[in-house]
Parts: sequence; structure tokens; C-alpha cells
Amino acid sequence: MKKFDYLKPQSLEEVLSLLNQFGTKAKLIGGGTDAIVMQRQNKISPDLFISLRGIPGLDHIEGNGLLKIGAMVTHRAIEQSPLIRERFPLLSEASGLLGSVQIRNVATLGGNLCTASPSAETAPPLLVYEAEVHLISQKGERRIPLESFFLGPGETALEQKEVLKEILLQPPPPNSRGAYLKLGRRKAMDLAVVNVAVLLTLNPKTGICERARIALGAVAPTPIRVREAENIIEGNQLNDELIRKAGEMAKHTCSPISDIRASSEYRREMVGVLVEKAIRQSLT
Amino acid sequence: MTEFINVGKRIPKSDAQEKVTGKAIYIQDLKIPGMLWGKILYSHHPHARILNIDTSEAEKLPGVKAVLTGYNIPTIKFGFYKDNTPLKSNKVCSYRDEVAAVAAIDPDIAEEAINLIKVEYELLPPVFDPEEAMKEGAPLIHEDHLGGKEKKPTNILNIPWKLVAGDVEEGRKNSDYVAENRFKVTWVTHCCMGTSGCIAQFDPRDNLTIYSNTQIPSLAQRDFTEALSAMGLQGKKVRLIKATIGGAFGSKLDTYPYEYIAILLAHRTRKPVKIIFSREEEFFATSPRQAAIIDIAQGCKKDGTLTFRDVRMVLDNGAYTSWGATTPSVMMMPISSLYKVPHVRYVAKCVYTNNTYSQAFRGYGNPQATFAIESQIDSLAEMAGIDPLDFRLRNANTPGEVTPQRFKVGTCGLRECIDAVAQRLDWRQNRGKRDGRGVGMASLIHVGGGARVYKSDGCGTIIKVDDFGTVNVITGATDMGQGADTVIAQIVAEELGVRIQDVVVTHTDTDICPWDVGAHASRTTFVAGNSAKMAAKKVKEQLLEVASRSLGEVPENLEIRDRMVFSKIDPEKKSPLGKVLRAAHYTTGGKMVMAEYFYDPPNENLDKEFKGNLSVTYAYGTHGVEVEVDKTTGQVNILKYIAAHDVGRAVNPMLLEGQVYGGAAMGIGYALMEQLVLNNGKVINPDFRDYKILTASDIPTIEAITIETDDPFGPFGAKGIGEPGLVPTAPAIANAIYDAIGVRIKDLPITPEKILAALKGKDSK
Amino acid sequence: MKQTVQFKLNGESIQIEVEPHLSLLQVIREKLELTGTKEGCGMGECGACTVLVDGKAINSCLFPILEVEGKSVTTIEGLIEADGTLHPLQRSFVENGAVQCGFCTPGMVLSAKALLDQHPKPTEKQIRLAISGNLCRCTGYIQIIRAIQAASEQ
Ligand SMILES: Cc1cc2nc3c(=O)[nH]c(=O)nc-3n(C[C@H](O)[C@H](O)[C@H](O)COP(=O)(O)OP(=O)(O)OC[C@H]3O[C@@H](n4cnc5c(N)ncnc54)[C@H](O)[C@@H]3O)c2cc1C
Ligand code: FES
Ligand code: FES
Repeated sequence: MKKFDYLKPQSLEEVLSLLNQFGTKAKLIGGGTDAIVMQRQNKISPDLFISLRGIPGLDHIEGNGLLKIGAMVTHRAIEQSPLIRERFPLLSEASGLLGSVQIRNVATLGGNLCTASPSAETAPPLLVYEAEVHLISQKGERRIPLESFFLGPGETALEQKEVLKEILLQPPPPNSRGAYLKLGRRKAMDLAVVNVAVLLTLNPKTGICERARIALGAVAPTPIRVREAENIIEGNQLNDELIRKAGEMAKHTCSPISDIRASSEYRREMVGVLVEKAIRQSLT
Repeated sequence: MTEFINVGKRIPKSDAQEKVTGKAIYIQDLKIPGMLWGKILYSHHPHARILNIDTSEAEKLPGVKAVLTGYNIPTIKFGFYKDNTPLKSNKVCSYRDEVAAVAAIDPDIAEEAINLIKVEYELLPPVFDPEEAMKEGAPLIHEDHLGGKEKKPTNILNIPWKLVAGDVEEGRKNSDYVAENRFKVTWVTHCCMGTSGCIAQFDPRDNLTIYSNTQIPSLAQRDFTEALSAMGLQGKKVRLIKATIGGAFGSKLDTYPYEYIAILLAHRTRKPVKIIFSREEEFFATSPRQAAIIDIAQGCKKDGTLTFRDVRMVLDNGAYTSWGATTPSVMMMPISSLYKVPHVRYVAKCVYTNNTYSQAFRGYGNPQATFAIESQIDSLAEMAGIDPLDFRLRNANTPGEVTPQRFKVGTCGLRECIDAVAQRLDWRQNRGKRDGRGVGMASLIHVGGGARVYKSDGCGTIIKVDDFGTVNVITGATDMGQGADTVIAQIVAEELGVRIQDVVVTHTDTDICPWDVGAHASRTTFVAGNSAKMAAKKVKEQLLEVASRSLGEVPENLEIRDRMVFSKIDPEKKSPLGKVLRAAHYTTGGKMVMAEYFYDPPNENLDKEFKGNLSVTYAYGTHGVEVEVDKTTGQVNILKYIAAHDVGRAVNPMLLEGQVYGGAAMGIGYALMEQLVLNNGKVINPDFRDYKILTASDIPTIEAITIETDDPFGPFGAKGIGEPGLVPTAPAIANAIYDAIGVRIKDLPITPEKILAALKGKDSK
Repeated sequence: MKQTVQFKLNGESIQIEVEPHLSLLQVIREKLELTGTKEGCGMGECGACTVLVDGKAINSCLFPILEVEGKSVTTIEGLIEADGTLHPLQRSFVENGAVQCGFCTPGMVLSAKALLDQHPKPTEKQIRLAISGNLCRCTGYIQIIRAIQAASEQ
């Protein structure tokens, strides 16, 4: 087993200065459920882990309008937060489906995003909520849409010495409803073969879908929004035909690969099925 | 049936308290002072010539005590076909081939040393498809392996499995309907939660002690004794001590290269050497259930009477030979004897490839064969326009029948099992709707009274009773979690009339325990149980004899219960058991109460034609499932699961249900999701992330039904139940899926993708 | 470089020197010789290594040892009472046939304990979810689920 050092800084400032000091030799660690596994599999081999656990200002869930979730908030905390369940139910569901209780007790939201796996559980819900991420380094702070945070499998907009501080969620417009669907081989402890989030805003009087957000996971190099499919239903009264078309469009917009979990054909097919299903569920 | 005090009771497993408190010691937990750690370097290629191995860097690493390769060890051949060696020289034939090994003072150093070994290879063309490997001109896995009439080099093993009974051509002619299909089954692995491992240690006189996980202590002892001879240590002794076993399921039915490597390292370093597999090694370097191609034809009359069964199989043997190559001997059983079939033919070939080599795995070939037979029975029933339930009842085995393979069916509760499943599933109501929900069933036959696959099918027991009435039972049997320890204690307690807590079962040390052929073929309750019962009977005679002297009552009138001996006719005449024992012991010419018994069941080895009464009695069962299939995703949801088994008698219903639930869970995995995926010979899913076994959220509620047929040969009427629980699961599920959506998947596992593809194919037709 | 870590283990305060790359599992099994906690995969997939940290179930194989600083860790050895009495969950596992080879058992019992501490009367679905990160190859889970139900009814 390869050895490493492990530092536990006391403040974000200290984290940033350590990152500066050690450069590529160091790696941040949150819950460690990705980082330690990758280290054991020799996919990464840092000399040093810099722990984010226990650092003040990273594990809050707060805000009345804009909701701020600290990067170190665990999936368990998200799953069990009444605030999130009420206001951002798709995120609550997604976090509740990630791994096992043991994993959720330590794995963090920030870690899930920074690993940038195409199948990242929380990405599709956060994409349909149009989340932003707040990044910080010694050079300063910036806020960017989550959508531009993901660059490729395992690749993000994070610079080498930058830390993801928090995730920001604007409340969706009133009368918004959605669904999160995860297709796996097992009912628990499974990575998504395909995951889909849909969020629709319906005019209560006319029933017209005024706004649609559709995001997909595990079917492209990053989690993606499918605007082409959103456009098909936005501004329209939804019927079977349109829903089917949206599903078809999503299916053709994504670019899945074949791997041990599924073939690209199956994934594509499932995008259509799940998008339709999620739209229907959002309507009920 | 007679009521018993200990037999038939839900008695907790003897070592459950140790296990729930974390006190049980597994091989992982065991340490010996001065112990070194061994690690193995595996091949980087599926098929290559070894040109050079440079171990100099590894040897220089501080803390490294020995580095072995195939070039600096004596020649040891093992495996029943004697084609395997601990470390490979000249060439490697699969990715799991062991090329070098290291012993070091800690596992990290050993690992580091392994990474410093440089091996030069010259690549050879590989072959991964057994049908390709059979062809003339295919790459040869072992160039010196000769076969066929001309004794030419070949990949086909010289084990011509062939069973012919009656005349299948005649049977075919007499058929009104004939179904012919190809089925495929793939590699699945045991996934014991405790990985493999051992510790080897030599004493100053070169006798070996090996701490092991084996389920065949006596045969492993013999294998290791042979290895010592090959190492020039003729006449040296082997003592095998079992740690608590973290699951076995057939995986520990043979000896493996890593055990010989530990022995060689221990001998070279003169220190104890421990090897423990990582989970990754457990996945790629232990032997799975084999992949096979099954061509099967069955026929029936208009009324559904079966006319013939004709089966041809090609088994992927992998690069070396373990018991996987002998599973056809068990596949013959369902092929010849599941349901009444007058004409039977079975031919199987085992073929070397550059894949991983296979082993026994719960059911020993039976699940594979039964998948093909029972899936096709439904197709045949449909051709004949008969409800598969009626079809099965018409052909069901019955007591007293002699099957084409000359099995003598004694007790047989197959009909009762089928009926029970049909009733619980509300079969007539729920079948045949094709509305996305469906029901299916499949049955099984398995050996239930031992299986004479070796020269002896026996097991020895020694019982001694101490001065206080504690009964020590020393058995050859192996407990690997299934509860052999407990069932044997119950049988002895029942026979002797003592309390279960007064019985202590020892089963872990070949220096103490008598011979046993091994924990296979669901034979332990039956064979070790009978052995223990007979030994207990002898002990009881002695007990009553000494009690008769101290109580002045004839033995026939005496009884033992709750640590008391008393007269059945004179209530005044009674004495605590301990007192009686001490009286007998501490007197001139004193006597200790003890006895032994070696029980070898009256079953037969199969003859040259593979016929004979392999087992004293046979176990039957039927599984029934109700499923729901999502036609949009192809996902299968099991709504109901019924498992009915003829168990003779449930000696311990709680442990028995545990075997059934556990078996069915594995069977559901086999049917729907488990698969060791080999890509050009390399296991690409050596972890629980991508080798999926069921979680607690996936397991349906399983109802276990026991049919008690009180077998006259079994201990208190019991038959074996270790393996049957997963034998009919996959075909029962496949049949239910067919009933739900009208598509039949003929290769395992039945994935959502395959279902969806089949549905599409059906629609486009 | 070795570092000192201080935490509570099964109610007792301890302080030890460790190499920082070690996992909590390695330290409790190898340094502290509490072998009741098992390693089934080392990758967070099987749950055999489950222990409680501040009452929460976690995979000790993935848990960096320095992160237990100041925390309270419960392993299977800490469940049994001082006089040797089994915890009700342990007793229930024994009595309901929830133990076969036993390799998954310590982790399973601790996951169940974390559940019952939070939800004393869980539904069957909650039980199944709570132990879905604990793989068992022997039992098919049925008797484990029953054992947890039975313990919750006491
Ligand atoms: C058994 C198991 C099951 C799993 N199941 C799922 C699943 O179902 N779905 C799923 O999506 N994932 C799953 N995962 C993956 C993993 O648990 C999640 O991605 C988790 O959210 C990662 O969080 P963490 O805190 O453990 O990340 P860590 O491992 O601590 O970090 C992950 C990466 O992000 C970086 N990082 C972490 N925090 C920050 C930060 N604040 N700023 C900058 N960089 C940071 C680290 O340097 C590292 O590269 C599973 C993992 C395991 C072991
Ligand atoms: S050993 Fe930790 S989860 Fe398997
Ligand atoms: S009892 Fe063997 S793994 Fe659970």
C-alpha cells in the first residue's frame, strides 16, 4: 500500500496556503469515498492529502431565498434535511440513493461534484435547479454555473489550487415540479446506468409548461442539460406526442459509451424511456 | 412422525455467539509469532512464453526473505488432472498464472517487492472460445497434452463424459413434439465474504502445519503430503487446522496454487508464511463456476409424456483443471433422472482455453444443466399445448422408480413440492396472461444421501464423555457456516438423551479428527450425521451398561434425560449422569465412556458407463416465482418466491431455511445479474461494484416450504439440503419471464438489455 | 511520519501513534488487535468493516485514521456488556438464525444498531435500506431482517 501524509488544517485560509505550498503533490480530501478508493487503485498517488473535514464554513445548509450548501455537507445530511426535502426534493432523493448509509454518512456533495463522474448522482438534479458553484483560491473567489464546472470525465473547471466552497441554489419558479430517476441493476448500492432529472414549471391556469429543465447522467462525458428536448416542451400544453418527442430528442442528443454496466445502445434507449417517464411523473 | 427433543428444533448455530461478538477467529485474524507475508506476481498476458524473470531488485529490498519462481522450486504437480503447478515456468496460459512469489516481513514490503520483479514474455496467440479451441490448428494451451485415438496434441481433455441409456433416436421417432435449443451459461464466482488465505509453518523436523480454510481437510492433507514428497520431504507429516471459514460454497473443495506457494515460502524461509487474498485476487485468481454451451433436445407425446432427452455440452475448462471439469458427472443426474425420461443421451467435452479455470460451486453443474432442461420443459409443454404444471406432474418422479442412470429413487416428495408451489402461486389463476406479470416454476433432483465420487464416501466420528457428562464429538465433517457443527450436536444429543449444551463438536484439526471425504454434495448432514448417530448409539450402550451397574437395573429399563439416568419402571432408581460416569471411572479397572464409528454410505461409484446408484437417497424440490417485467426498461421485479424442498426431515428448520434462503438468493443473482466478465481472458470486473450480488433491498420475500418424507436411510430421516436451494432458481425465473412477456432468454444472466433486445426481436417478427 | 491520534474506543479513551496513511480499519485490526471488525473488500463496497463513529455507521476501510481525532468509535467488541451479556441485537441475530459463516455479522449488527438508535421501530423497508451496504453471501438476508425486526420489537 502506498503511503501518504495527511494534514488537517483548521481554516480555509490554511487549506489554500497548503495547496499553494504543495502544488500537484497534494490532493484535497472530503469524505474520501472517491479519493481513498482512487488512491488504492493507483489512479491517483498524492504524497499528501489535505483534509477539508471540520473546517468552519463548509458544512452549512442555510438561506431563505438562495440556498447555500457547504461543499462538505454529507449526502446523509442532505437526505435528512427537511429544508432540502421541501424545497429541492430532487436533490434530496438523489443524495438518498447514493451508495449505502455508510457511504452517505461520510461522502460529501462537494466530493460528488469534484469527482466529476459522468454518472454523478447529484449532478442531474443540481443541473435542473441551475445550481452555481462557489470556488475559492488564494487568487480570489468566483461563482460559475454548475453546467460549466464539468469539463469531462474526472475533469472540472477547478484550478489546481482552488477549492469548491459551496453550492448555491436559487428557488425554482412557483408551480415547479420534477422527478429524479436512477436506473441501476440493483435497488441499492449501484452506480447509475442512466440518471435523469426533470423540472417543469406549469401555469396553474392554462396548464402550459412555461419552463422545462432536463438533465442526464452517464450518457455523455459529463452530466448534461438537454436544451433541445427542453425546447420541445417549453411553452406548450403537454400531450403524449410532445412527451414522446422530448424523449426522442434527449435520446439523440446524448452520446453514451458502452462499458461493463451497459451498452451505448441500451443507455440511449433508456434515456428516451426515463425522460418520458420523468416528465409524466412531474405532471402528476 | 415421532416427536424429538433436539431434532426438529430451531436451535441456534453453535458458534453464533462467537460470531456476533466478533470473537470467532478467521484466517484473516490469525497471527503466528515471526510470521512472514507472502504475495504473488501474476501473469501480464493470457498466453505467453516466459523468456526471463529478473528478481534481483526484489531480492535486494530490505525485509524480503525469499523470492521464488518456477525456476527455483521443485516440480509439484497438482489438481486431479495434474496439469497445474504452484509457479509457472516456460509459459503462462492465463492471466491468473502465478509467475513469482515473495515472502517479506510485512505485506507492504512484499507488495513492493512483487512490483520490482521484471518478467520478459514472448506473446503467443491465445484462444478464448472453447469451440474455437477444439478446432484443428487452434493454439495449444499445453503442447504436451495428447488426446484422441491418435494421441495427438489437443485442447480437448481426455475425459470423455458420455452417458447413454435407452435409444434417443428411437425416442425421437416416437415423439409428437421435439424442442431443440442452445443455452449458454457463464462464469459466476463464489464471493465468499472472507477471502482465501492460509498460513504454512514447518517444525524443526520438517513436518508441516497449515492453517487453512478448506472444506476438504482429509483430501487437502493428502495433496499437501504429496507436495512434501515432491519437495524431497518424504514421510513428513501434514497437520491441517481450520480457522473459522468465511464462506465456501465449493470454492474450497480443491487445493490452490497459493497454498503450495505458502508451503514453499515457509520451507525456504523456515518461518511461518501467511498469504491472504485481496478482494481483487479473490475475483480473478480463484476458480468460478464454468461457462458452458449446452445443446439440448427433448421430446414428448401429445399427452405430454417425455420421450427422450439428448444433451451435448462444451465446457470451457480454462487453462488448468480443477473439479470444474468433473461437473458433468453431476450434470448427468438431472439429465438422466429429473422427471421420467425413457431415453437419454449426454455427451460433454471439456476444452482448454486461455481463460480462468473453474471449480465446484454449490450445485456442482446441476444449476447449469437444470437451467437448460427446465427452461426447455416449458417450451415443450407449450408446443404440446399443456400447462407446464400438468406437464411436470405427468412426468414427475415417484418413489420406487429406477432411473435410466440406475438411481434407485427411495423417498420422493417431488409431486408434493410441485403442488405446494402451484398452490402458493395461485398458478391456474395467474398463469398465461402475458400482461407483464407472470409465474414460472422449475424442479430439481440432487444427491441427498452422499455421493460416491471418491473411493470412499465416508466420515468418521469419535465421541468421548467426560466425568461430568460433557460429550465431546470429534468429527471429520467441516462447518463452513452451514451449521454442520450444530446439526451433529443435535443428532448426538437426541441419540444420547443429553442436552444440546452438553455436546461440544470439534471439527478443525486433522491431527484429532477422523477422515472425511469433504463438505460437498450436500452430504454432511446425511453422512456425518449418520456417522455421529451410530457413534452415539455405541456410547449410549456403554453409558447404560455402566449405569445399570450402579443403579442395579437392567440397561433396557434405563433412560437418559437432562443429565439424569433413571429407571423407566422404578422411579426411585435414578442418578445424575456425571455421578454414574465418575463411579465407572474411579473404580478398580475403571472405564471411560468413548466410542468411534466410521460411516460409509451404501451407495455406488458410477460404473464405466456412468451408471449406478450414486447416492443412498435423492433430494427433490420445486421453486416457483411470480415476476413483473418492465417492458420499457427490461427490468425484472420478483414479486413472490416460493421454495419447496423434500428434505427428508428438517433436523433444524431454522438452519435449513437459512440454506434455502441463501441458495435462492445466489440463484436469483445467477439468473439476473451475476457474471464474471472476461475480456480476452482478463476479468474486468474484479470488485463488488461491477460484480453484483444481491443486497438486502433486492432480495424478495422467500417462502420456504419443507416437505418431510422421513427417509429410512437418513439420520432421523434427513436428506441433504446444502446445494438444492439454488439449483432450479434460474429456470424458474426464466419461465416466469416468459409467462409475463413471451420472450425466452437462453443465456445467463438474464439482463434487462437481453430482455429488451428479445422483446424488440419479437415485435419486429 | 507518525502522528498521535486520540479518540474514544468502545468507551475508553486511547492515544496512539499511527502512520497517517492507515485506515481506521487497519489500526483497529492490526495495531489494537480488535479483529471483530472484518475486511471484505477494502473499497467501501461490502460493509464488513462497518463501525460506528459518533453513533453513525461508516466503512472503516475508507476512513482515514487521523479523522477519528476526538471522536467516539464503537466496534463490535464494544456492544457486549461488561458482564458478558449480549446486546439485544446480538441475541436476536443468534436466535433468528441470522448468522452462518459470520463474516458479515459484526458489520451487519452495527448497521442495525445505528438504525435502531435512530428509528427504534423501523419498517421492513427501512431495515433493508439500512443494511444494503452490508453484503451477505450466506443468508439471503431474510433471517437478518427478521432478527432486526425482532430486536426492535423488544
Ligand atoms: C461503495 C461506494 C458507492 C458509491 N455509490 C455512488 C453512487 O451511487 N452515486 C454516486 O454518484 N457516487 C457514488 N460513489 C462515489 C462517491 O461516494 C461520491 O462521489 C461522493 O459524493 C464523493 O464524496 P467524498 O466527500 O467522499 O469525496 P472525496 O473522495 O473526498 O473527494 C473526491 C474528489 O473531489 C476532490 N474534492 C473533494 N472535495 C473538494 C472540494 N471541496 N473542493 C475541491 N475538490 C474537492 C478530491 O480531491 C477528490 O479528487 C460511491 C462510492 C463508493 C465507495
Ligand atoms: S471492507 Fe470496507 S466496505 Fe468492504
Ligand atoms: S453469514 Fe456469511 S456472509 Fe453473511
